[in-house]
Amino acid sequence: MEQAWIAGKPAALDAAIAEAASLLAASRCPLIAGLGTDIAGARAAIALAQRAGAVIDHMHSEAVLRDLDVMRSSGVMMTTPGETHVRADTLLLAGPGLLEAWPQLPQRLFGKLPHAQGDPGAERRIFWLCPGRDANLAGSTGKIVGKNPGDLAGLIAALRARAAGRPAQKASVSSKTLDEVAAAIKAARFGVAIWSAGTLDALIIEMLCGLVDDLNATTRFSTLPLSAADNADGVLDACGWMAGFPMRTGFGRGFPQHDPWLFDSRRLVDSGETDCVVWISAYRAAAPGWRDAPPTIALTGREAGFRSPPRVHIEVGRPGIDHDGVQHVASLGALASIGATQPSERISVADAIARIAAALPGERSC
Amino acid sequence: MLTRIAGGRVIDPANGRDGVGDVWMRDGRIIDAPQGARAEATYDAAGKIVMAGAIDIHSHIAGWNVNTARLLLPDYHRAAARRPAETPLSNAVLPAFETGCRYAAMGFTTVVEPAVSPHYALHAHLELADIPIIDKATLTVLGNDDYLLGLLHANESDAAIEDYVAWTLDMSRGLGIKVVNAGGAAAFKENVRAFSFDDVVPSYGVSSRRIVKALQHAVNKLGVPHPLHVHCNNLGLAGNAETALTTIAAAEGLPLHLAHLQFYGYGKEGDRGFSSAAAPLAEAVNAVRNVTIDVGQVMFGPTVTISSDVLRQFNARHQARPRKWLILDGDANGAGIVPYDYRRTDFYNAVQWAVGLELFLLIEDPWRVYFTTDHPNGAHFTTYPEIFALLMSRDLRAQWMAELPPAAMAVSTLPSIAREYSLFEIATMTRAAPARLLGLTDRGHLNAGAVADVAVYEDDADRARMFRAAAFLFKDGELVVRDGSVTQVRFGRALTVRPERDRAIDRRMKAYYEDRYGLSDELLKVPEHALGRPEPFERVPCVS
Repeated sequence: MEQAWIAGKPAALDAAIAEAASLLAASRCPLIAGLGTDIAGARAAIALAQRAGAVIDHMHSEAVLRDLDVMRSSGVMMTTPGETHVRADTLLLAGPGLLEAWPQLPQRLFGKLPHAQGDPGAERRIFWLCPGRDANLAGSTGKIVGKNPGDLAGLIAALRARAAGRPAQKASVSSKTLDEVAAAIKAARFGVAIWSAGTLDALIIEMLCGLVDDLNATTRFSTLPLSAADNADGVLDACGWMAGFPMRTGFGRGFPQHDPWLFDSRRLVDSGETDCVVWISAYRAAAPGWRDAPPTIALTGREAGFRSPPRVHIEVGRPGIDHDGVQHVASLGALASIGATQPSERISVADAIARIAAALPGERSC
Repeated sequence: MLTRIAGGRVIDPANGRDGVGDVWMRDGRIIDAPQGARAEATYDAAGKIVMAGAIDIHSHIAGWNVNTARLLLPDYHRAAARRPAETPLSNAVLPAFETGCRYAAMGFTTVVEPAVSPHYALHAHLELADIPIIDKATLTVLGNDDYLLGLLHANESDAAIEDYVAWTLDMSRGLGIKVVNAGGAAAFKENVRAFSFDDVVPSYGVSSRRIVKALQHAVNKLGVPHPLHVHCNNLGLAGNAETALTTIAAAEGLPLHLAHLQFYGYGKEGDRGFSSAAAPLAEAVNAVRNVTIDVGQVMFGPTVTISSDVLRQFNARHQARPRKWLILDGDANGAGIVPYDYRRTDFYNAVQWAVGLELFLLIEDPWRVYFTTDHPNGAHFTTYPEIFALLMSRDLRAQWMAELPPAAMAVSTLPSIAREYSLFEIATMTRAAPARLLGLTDRGHLNAGAVADVAVYEDDADRARMFRAAAFLFKDGELVVRDGSVTQVRFGRALTVRPERDRAIDRRMKAYYEDRYGLSDELLKVPEHALGRPEPFERVPCVS
């Protein structure tokens, strides 16, 4: 069965590798984007970027950088999925998209607190602020406060004011409801605010973090920002230890530079600044969203749905399915090694990139 | 390949050697001078100093906490990304690759990352796998974890605790066990805001003392060479020397290592209620044989504090410079990341600087005081050469002290201390002693059979310049650094211990993880194949 294509026509893997290497070698500003891959794939991709002077970006960088932006400009209390599961007597869910980000959320967090030392399995109090389209997902456990996600900023501002004992401007819910939620989060023994940065803006995230910090003056409260898909948090980790920066980092000047605007893959493609794209999507076979792409080397599943065939397309295996892979695991909140469930001969992103790198002229220096 | 390092002054305290001579290496090991053989490669060390590769027992170089600190401090202003090397914080938390290169340039060949939470062990080892040249190891953090506190609460047997410690070391691939503010992070989750040695974690009814003693005994009984590595309660607080003294007394004759003692060297004397208490601490260490310490020296400049002491970091979060921080209520200990700027003009920071040097100079036995800055908490590891120079010259110290707030020097004994470290003592503290402390019998010395990790330095009167750039560094017998520049990139190993255990603990832990977290304990494993390096681990034997 074919595993590689050049300009839409089946090709030998070796020929596809050679074509990819020659495209990269001729490129003046390569872009490695998508980056939906396991840690081995991310390490290989970042090493390739260092060597080729490329830019690295992830398909979910917007969401990742929204959470990160708050972290690197203010203070953040965080906790783990595990501590939330065993300890959180109060949950403050904010905005829609939570179950998309973490499908196991209801089964992990909506039940009673597990019995622990001195803590006999109590009910949790759950408030879901402005769930929007997800209102029906709250089940019977949670109390929905506000509906429209557009009201979330005003609602959190009002809640923060009331929790601090200050008067609040008129919010989208009644002052009685507002005071009820404010009293409940202040009475929490260990509360956790949960959101998905895919659906919130940075200002709302910053307000939530501020609210949580305020609450810690008298009780314990923390946050659980949910991860984006396609191993975004895992790739973020690898970028951190290899480049010292998150994604949207360029190596074109011989050292890593981080700039979320300059190294936004869509901007690089739309402006014509990049002349060669390596597009990686090993988990879902997603195609990039842009229209007129420069020559593209695609490392994806077979049915990626490109608008026109990439110059080079190599079908790669799915981490944790076709081959073992390390990735960020939502229920653990950390990197873990996942064994292949249906081992296959499909090449991994890491191996494909290693072979492309081996075919490049020149060597990496220290 | 037969290699000869010829005619240097060989300083090898483990073997009592200090004199001009040769060092021979073959196949990655030190060998005795062969009769009549010709070296295939000879390096001229005439006029130079030859020591074993240096060993750092406590430096935060990898793992979730360290990496999150990198992400917290992108060295860039939102408006404009600038070249990292030009910004002051660019050194605060180096990426993995530069970490290995910078350590090697200074002649270091083994570095211990001292705070790995079991749930982030794979992450830590992945980072370590990307640190070139040096060998690495981790200490696994216990003492705020529900399972251990549950065992103590239920008065389970010593054997049950030992099995759990052994299981955790195996799963996390650690070289030893560290405890960080024992019980403090667990108590903080229950809204406790101050926690001392005899305070009790509310839900478990277990004191910090009991946790430390239980782990100390377990580590000792299992034959883990490195004694329990203790980060005491009350870090950074005025008057906390009492806490350290209490902990030293509680060691009760068994081996115990106290980490970054400088951060516990504070009294309450003087106008500001903050003074050096290094002298009584040093006296207490001098008076016992079973306690070792490392210093955690402070140097001036911007850095970031990275600690599993969540309670301390939470209480210090509003002292962040710049004003941003992250506090993680983790599955066990968690983490606190608070950037900080130690300033020469700051009374408190100057006292901290003095306390560290006092401990180095007042503790008499260089086999029991270890050279650390608690990187990056007290200072970045690239400041080591300056600290060596300060230890070796009272004149240099006097120059520094003249620039510092007189009020700070007035509450310290440092101005009255004349001692100067010799090169032999520096080699003891950074080579021979740490190898012994960690149970690495084939490191830290230059006898036949040792790993051929050898650092060669110019005998430069400017000791900082000397230690900043090794003339040669050999790792496993191969030249990797020349004149402070890396000449060859290769990847080392992570050192681990695996004490024996009753395998029934494996079933108990599987059931525990499923019951408490609804997760498989398989997720905690650190499989060799996941690290992407050939032979990523080297096992260090336990002592029987």
